Amino acid sequence: MQTKRVGLTSKTYDVDDFAAAQEFYHSNGWTDGLPVVPPTAVAVEACLEWALMPADQLIGIEPVREQPITAEKLAINAVMAGCLPVHFPVVATAWQAMMKEEFLLHGVTSSTGGCAILVIINGPIRLEIGANPSFNALANSDRATAAIGRALRLALINLLAVRPGGIDRTTLGHPGKFSYCLAEDEEDTVWQPLSVVRGIPEGVSAVTVMAAMAPRQIMNEWTTDPREILETFAAEMRANQLHYSIYGGNYAIVIPKQLREHIQGAGWSNRNIAEFLHERARVRRAEWADVGKGSIVRDRGDRIHAALESPDDLLVVAAGGPAGGFGAIISPWMGSKTKAVTAAIGACVDCEPPKG
Amino acid sequence: MTLRVLDPTNEMKGAGGQQAARPSSLQGKTVGFISNGKEGTKGYFGHLERMLREELGVAHIVWRTKSNYSAPADAAIVDEIKRWHAVVTGVGD
Repeated sequence: MQTKRVGLTSKTYDVDDFAAAQEFYHSNGWTDGLPVVPPTAVAVEACLEWALMPADQLIGIEPVREQPITAEKLAINAVMAGCLPVHFPVVATAWQAMMKEEFLLHGVTSSTGGCAILVIINGPIRLEIGANPSFNALANSDRATAAIGRALRLALINLLAVRPGGIDRTTLGHPGKFSYCLAEDEEDTVWQPLSVVRGIPEGVSAVTVMAAMAPRQIMNEWTTDPREILETFAAEMRANQLHYSIYGGNYAIVIPKQLREHIQGAGWSNRNIAEFLHERARVRRAEWADVGKGSIVRDRGDRIHAALESPDDLLVVAAGGPAGGFGAIISPWMGSKTKAVTAAIGACVDCEPPKG
Repeated sequence: MTLRVLDPTNEMKGAGGQQAARPSSLQGKTVGFISNGKEGTKGYFGHLERMLREELGVAHIVWRTKSNYSAPADAAIVDEIKRWHAVVTGVGD
């Protein structure tokens, strides 16, 4: 049965119970393959009320296919992903960022290259939503980041028809396409938060979105020298250039506490890191021949390709558990065709939601 | 207990566009190729050009290449499409 509800304008369907709702959503192709929270009007309205958004508020228009994205539709998908109302402002802002021209959302979501959308959360909202930037930061670290990352994917599936074999032409993909979201450990670093580095005022909550491949983990527990530690990161970036894409673009690096303390203790800022990696993460085009790609070196073998076109292209993120000499580089989907976007979260995170 | 749940799909239509009229024949017509610029498209479009000319009598083939293979065709290319009778695009790798 289909009816209309006043306020919300989405079609409604009556299902017998929770299990029936699962089969209904799966059979319509409205999920990522995992169970969803049935999006009831009460749950969706709670998200909208928390974010102080009317149901028909336009979050943005997808630039290529000109599809309007409304707060109501985004909230439905956020509820399905398991989001609480307090998570919804992050989802909405991430979508606003994704729809900026420079993000190239259509290419990002349709390419055979198969990236996911990495979300990095900064500012006081991290604490309010209970994000955990420590243990397991890039995986199942907490409810908030798991649900927020998943909400972006479900909304892509349902609002832009980004389904495998449909708009999504990905050859392989990676597990981050289920959820790929982390918060920065701002309380346990002396570095400026990523959002501040990228122009957002201190103390303002923000999200950064980046079209990103899977994390490539590194390990170096055998030095305290920042240069040696960062040489390991640079080597992994060079490996990505040779094995995946040689072209420069936004890279993110995630530096957990153990390695972070060595680097910070030596007085290195995140800008120093970016400048170091800008210089060190470079390959000669001729090196392609060493990895089976000799046919495309052509007469440009001496050309130098930098992983970072500028130090500004590096996203340094302080996150991860307290022990272990690990870190990760997260490489761009395809050079500089897409740009990472950072946006301030507009909702007043200190405000109480309106009373009924 | 019955649950009343909401439709998660986009019920609003984007601005979009309309399909052009389909030619009944390609004999003597002009066909445009919009390549995404990837290596594998050269051989594909070369072969397709021979087929269209020899088997379907296409008079002119116009080759164009996008400046960014992951983005829509450049405005100048899109502007040219109106002068063609048919276009082949969307060919990936």
